[in-house]
Amino acid sequence: MALLEVQNITKRFGGLTAVSNFSLSMEKGEIVALIGPNGAGKTTAFNVIAGYYKADDGKVIFNDRNVTNKRPDQICAQGLVRTFQVVRPFRGLTVLENVMIGAYARTNNRHAAKDKAREVLDFLGMNKLSDQYANGLPIAGRKRLEIARALATDPKVMLLDETMAGLRPLETDEVIGMVRKVSEKGVAIFLVEHVMKVVMSLADRIIVLHHGETIAQGIPADVVQNQQVIDAYLGEANATG
Amino acid sequence: MSPEIFYQTIINGLFTGGIYALVSIGLTLIYGVLIIVNFAHGEFLMLGIYVAFWAFTIFGTDPYLAIPIAVLLIGGMGALIQRGLIQRVLDAHPLNQIVLLVGVSTLLIGLVQFFFSAEPRSIHVPYETEVITLFGLRMSIPRLIAFFASMLISLSLFLFLRYTRTGKAIRAVSQSREAAQLMGINVKYIYMLTFGIGTAITAVAGVLLAPNHRMIPTMGQAYSVIAFVVVVLGTMGNFVGAFIGGLIIGIVETFAGFFLGGDVKIIASMLIFILILLFRPSGLFGRKRS
Amino acid sequence: MSAEATNNITKRPSRSLWHTLFGDWDRTQITVSVILVVLMAIAPFFIDSPYFLGIIILAALYAFIGISWNIVAGFTGQLLIAHIIFLALGGYTTIVLLNVYRISPWVGIFIGGIVAALAGIVIALITLRYGLKLDYFALFTIALLVALRTLFLKWDFVGGAVGMYLRLANPSTAKMIFDTKPPYLYIALGLLVIGIVIQYLVYNSKMGKYFMAIREDEAAASALGVNTSRYKTLSVIIGAGLAGIGGGFYVMYVTFIDPTGLFNLGVNVEIVMAGPIIGGLGSLAGPILGALVNKPIAELIRGFLAGERSGITLIVYGLFLVTSIMFMPRGLAGVFQTLYMKIKRPSRDDV
Repeated sequence: MALLEVQNITKRFGGLTAVSNFSLSMEKGEIVALIGPNGAGKTTAFNVIAGYYKADDGKVIFNDRNVTNKRPDQICAQGLVRTFQVVRPFRGLTVLENVMIGAYARTNNRHAAKDKAREVLDFLGMNKLSDQYANGLPIAGRKRLEIARALATDPKVMLLDETMAGLRPLETDEVIGMVRKVSEKGVAIFLVEHVMKVVMSLADRIIVLHHGETIAQGIPADVVQNQQVIDAYLGEANATG
Repeated sequence: MSPEIFYQTIINGLFTGGIYALVSIGLTLIYGVLIIVNFAHGEFLMLGIYVAFWAFTIFGTDPYLAIPIAVLLIGGMGALIQRGLIQRVLDAHPLNQIVLLVGVSTLLIGLVQFFFSAEPRSIHVPYETEVITLFGLRMSIPRLIAFFASMLISLSLFLFLRYTRTGKAIRAVSQSREAAQLMGINVKYIYMLTFGIGTAITAVAGVLLAPNHRMIPTMGQAYSVIAFVVVVLGTMGNFVGAFIGGLIIGIVETFAGFFLGGDVKIIASMLIFILILLFRPSGLFGRKRS
Repeated sequence: MSAEATNNITKRPSRSLWHTLFGDWDRTQITVSVILVVLMAIAPFFIDSPYFLGIIILAALYAFIGISWNIVAGFTGQLLIAHIIFLALGGYTTIVLLNVYRISPWVGIFIGGIVAALAGIVIALITLRYGLKLDYFALFTIALLVALRTLFLKWDFVGGAVGMYLRLANPSTAKMIFDTKPPYLYIALGLLVIGIVIQYLVYNSKMGKYFMAIREDEAAASALGVNTSRYKTLSVIIGAGLAGIGGGFYVMYVTFIDPTGLFNLGVNVEIVMAGPIIGGLGSLAGPILGALVNKPIAELIRGFLAGERSGITLIVYGLFLVTSIMFMPRGLAGVFQTLYMKIKRPSRDDV
């Protein structure tokens, strides 16, 4: 069984089926990207996996354990951690304290948590920011903090929710670098993304969602040449253009 | 319980409910537009009743004539409080908002206590004991006047919100601050106006209570609590809900007073409150405003 | 760590002491708190007047109660407005245990704390089970306050509307009844010290950091492994328990309890809220700074403006709350922290 096995997730909101029969299989160290036009159901699928929405159908199996519909904190304890699209730093706490919250997921000891937090910040090149309060950080810093915090929970799989949204090209490159580093540590990464540059440079595999259904899945080179995918995106471009 | 007593209790309940409806409409209006629970709401009723007391004692005016004074004075005060204080915390942590309003409430009680002392006050008008008897039901004149006044004011406010330009602007802001702004509505002004209207209405309720009513500086707190119950029952932000809820709670409370005694009847409202919060926090009229 | 190591080699002893006491803002707050406690402790050697000693006693107690609320509302951000419920329950428990069952208040106040903590558990569980948040949570606690007041007004066992007076007895240490002020002061300070210690331990611990994460952003905390229900309940238990103990002492000191006096929002503002708000909700020194500022000032103003005119205390507290929120949202502690950071910066190696 794969590290993360999502089996036929379906999520409905009233009469609308946002996600239908979504499946995914991830192994350690992989980077998988979920893309699709607006309203395709990416965020819904993401939130079901992360435990924020209850699945109407289907299962999420992580580390051989059924984590479907478990509370977010239970899922995190299992080793599956998420970030938020609109970042949610603990504003009144310092960067170090923010990351310590993540570290405390694995230890009860203050010193251990502090050491772990420093280690993570060091690894991601952020230790100069340790004592700054989170609310003083610019958007790029907060995004990096989001990742650092999640990494401190020692996850096996990290779910990144449109991390690159709102970043300038230079900042995007920085964050791409961070994500790569995290991946090199052995953490499997599942990311929902709009920015194609990010997807193409990071993803081992891409899944494309359209109207809640998976229309393509495979290595980046193949997916971008897939006619259905092109139609889906072009279709949206025509609608908005 | 005999039929006469039953209907009498209903009538009494409606009269009480009319006042509750008025107070609650003010509270729900403020919540609907500013998305803030006015923890100082009852104090504006208390201010209203003391304005009536003051007008009566100093000028000998019939309390009902103090209504315009109360509206201008207290509504104006409310508007200033909103513009000067509350406006600054509208986007702050709810704890700050609550503490600010608790502070305002404490301040208002303190001021009234300072100027009028904590001794119970009351004013007596010649017609306060007069009663009309209709279909065998006794209705005290002041309470009857208060009831009709509440109905009239509620209706007027409803029509104002429904059909006037300003009223529509208020409703627009209550639905979406951003959209209203984009349409050129001066949201800050609407906030101030709405808070002023909400507090003015509550003050009028206070004036209507004035004849032969025991006045102490802390009397507003009980009305605050009841207004909370009514507003939650009628769905927060819902005008009609507050109106109907007010009447319902008035009737329930009067019945509770009959069966349990006057000083404990508040427990009926508390029980309803707790039950609603637990089992139907969105109130009678559906979706909770978030 | 290397900068500190270098310092340790070349430091003079006084420098190391300075660092221990004032090295960072948290330490500074603790040091200041301890200094204030010591000052209060030696007050009886300089002040004879029972009136002034009485103010200090209440200030110390209010500081302790303030700490208890700080843990729930300051650290965890829960809008538990009617916190005085716990103080009242603790007080009633203590006086009933003494008057009716002859149980010594030295034990009684802690049982009062347990009763209050149990009430806290019930309230926490109900509000969590039914998802009562923010305004609804605040309103729920207020409704409980009113409901409890009505119940106690009608409950003859605890004296109903008349309340309960401490059974007349000769001064006795075993019964926590004294004929002078200083013993009360030292008990209050003892409680305050316990409060400061517990607050600091919580603050530094994983639990405390989880509390603050919940305050800052519950959803994010949950995503990072915080069982928010469990920790919210824990914070209420601790806050309620401490308040209950404080209530027990309060009753022993004022020798009287009644429902309208204690299940009372105005009293709640004075005893529970004003201190931490002025001092700085969420900070370590806030509750103490606040209580030491507001109680004496309120008393002084009341004294000056002639006792006949009531309402002064309320005006003062009202103004405290309003001006604090408007101009000093982080309270006195926040102001001092900014000053501290400014003073500290010149000597730090710049980043």
